[in-house]
Amino acid sequence: MKNNKILSIMLIMVVMATATGFSQAKITVKGSDTMVILAQKWAELYMKSNPAASIQVTGGGSGVGITALINGTTDICNSSRPMKQTEIEKLKGRYNTLGVSIPCAKDGVTIFLNESNKVQELTLKQLSDIYTTKIKNWKEVGGIDAPIRLYGRENSSGTYTYFHDEVVRADYAASVQSLPGTAAVVNAVKKDVNGIGYGGAAYAVGVRYAKVKKDANSPAYVPTKESIGKGEYPITRYLYMYLRNKPTGETKKYIDWILSSEGQMVVTEVGYFPYK
Amino acid sequence: MKMKKLLTITFFTLVSVYGYSQTQTIDSLKEVIEKHDGKLTALDERVLVNEADLSKLNKIKISGYIQSQWELYDKNRVVTNEPTNTFYLRRVRVKFTYEALDGVKFVLQPDFSTGALALKDAYAVVNIPKFKDWTLWAGQMNRPNYEVEYSSSQREVLERSRVIRAIYPGEREIGLKLEYIGSKIPLKFQLMAMNGNFTGTQAKDVDSEKDIMARLVYSVKLPDAGIGIDFGGNTYMGSNKAKINPYVSNSDGTLDSVNVGHNLDKKWFGGEVQIFADVLGGMAIKGEYIAGTNSVASTTAAPASNASTATKLGAANKLNSFAGYYLYLIKNIGTKNQLVARYDYYDPNTKLSGDAAGSAVSCKTLTVSWQHYLNDFIRITVNYEMPKFEVNASRPANYMDVTYGNTLGVRIQAKF
Repeated sequence: MKNNKILSIMLIMVVMATATGFSQAKITVKGSDTMVILAQKWAELYMKSNPAASIQVTGGGSGVGITALINGTTDICNSSRPMKQTEIEKLKGRYNTLGVSIPCAKDGVTIFLNESNKVQELTLKQLSDIYTTKIKNWKEVGGIDAPIRLYGRENSSGTYTYFHDEVVRADYAASVQSLPGTAAVVNAVKKDVNGIGYGGAAYAVGVRYAKVKKDANSPAYVPTKESIGKGEYPITRYLYMYLRNKPTGETKKYIDWILSSEGQMVVTEVGYFPYK
Repeated sequence: MKMKKLLTITFFTLVSVYGYSQTQTIDSLKEVIEKHDGKLTALDERVLVNEADLSKLNKIKISGYIQSQWELYDKNRVVTNEPTNTFYLRRVRVKFTYEALDGVKFVLQPDFSTGALALKDAYAVVNIPKFKDWTLWAGQMNRPNYEVEYSSSQREVLERSRVIRAIYPGEREIGLKLEYIGSKIPLKFQLMAMNGNFTGTQAKDVDSEKDIMARLVYSVKLPDAGIGIDFGGNTYMGSNKAKINPYVSNSDGTLDSVNVGHNLDKKWFGGEVQIFADVLGGMAIKGEYIAGTNSVASTTAAPASNASTATKLGAANKLNSFAGYYLYLIKNIGTKNQLVARYDYYDPNTKLSGDAAGSAVSCKTLTVSWQHYLNDFIRITVNYEMPKFEVNASRPANYMDVTYGNTLGVRIQAKF
């Protein structure tokens, strides 16, 4: 009898607490700085044609977005890298789901060089050696006799992790200047004749970009719709949206629109590439 | 003519005065720029120094949690004049993580619970160069088991299941662990060598043999159905050295003579499964079955207490066949609430039952719990635990011990 009473009280408390748990006034989107311009553009256009929808977009980096998804402070997380196993474990622990991964665009991680830099192409190995300072001078890769100055992203950035895992594959050199956003990396390289940086293709304005090749015997590519679409550009990646659960209601409508031809046109306008 | 001369002189005077003042202005501007340039350089240097200091601080992460709770015991199990309810601090932990380099991490976690400052974790994790999926852990850390490694700050019921509390007392051990978490294949493998007798204060091993634990988990994902299944097995291969008792009591109660120095088995196997499903807000079913032989001191044969795991060292004189399992059903409701039911079973001696089992009676426990996440930092848990012990002559139905009765626990957890 006593047990029944306690169980009933617990059940009533749960029902009361959950009664308000389902309402969703607006959609919050947080995460990748690489995707922030794209996400803002999507939100802006979607809200124009759906005035009842309210979408709030902020950056901070893929890591920040994933943490927010795990903490329940964002509905959609933008990420320029896949979620790590440790992050999926946290999501499982808190929400008992694996999360939903939605590839929504493609990007070629672009190697930014100063306009005056004469280096035309770099292999993945050379890029790794540059970012681990095994190669320290531009003359070692066909440039002038000048020291290479390295610019990169902060470790909360998905691009930082992606570039580390897929290109550098070792610890970044301590001399890499970490900057808060791809725009800052582009800006730094624009001003520094000996600088090199990396980031999303949409930001490559006012800088040159180096062609990239898998190895010394492979052809070199610049990130174009064609080379990305065919998977020829060696540092091609997906840009993702992550959710805790399968999307429903307004969130589902919004994501369906992003994946539609209309949403994918925005991807091209911003400077990225359609997801398929 | 005179006028022309005057105008010419005035013009030249003005030009030279203007020119002089221009030179003066440029000189003073140069001076100002140089002065500011110097200041900017100095500021730049200071920013660089501060950035270097800040980047060191950024490598230190501090997290922690406080679990403050109230417990109400079944008054029929409370010894006369003993309290029927209490407030207490279950865990007060601060975790310091220092990431020295990519792939090199140090972790220190003390527990400040009332009356006992204890070191919970103290280990270093190093990524094995060129094998980024492999890490090597050294120090004092959790034993590789699903429920053990599942953080107390995350767990959906107040305490771990009885079998886990009994065979992995204190959860931690001192040793060396090799861990593989596949980035391309969904496989997790853990192998740990440890002293095998950690008590919280036992700094060194009491014998030369090391205990070995291994765990292998494979994950299957069915993304379209929103289902993930992790399943695997684990084993513990170790021993306890008989130090003082020249005999050993087998599971069936018979006596075998052993000499001091004999190694008594501590060996078991387990199978585990965790199923996660995206059904109206997420749900999980988690279970594990473990059975084997454990060598224990007679004083530790009884089921572990409700509150925490007994941590008693060696002096083993009993060799028990044991078995136990747990099964969780967890349902998320929205993003703020979880409903949980757990059924767990532990039999410290599977070969004896009834009066012959003595104090080593089996126990089935149903626990129901509700979690409410107030915000990112605060979680409220209401937990009701209903153990049902085997009844015999030494543990009659009215046995007076709070751990044998139902317990209501209300916990507020603050995590940062």
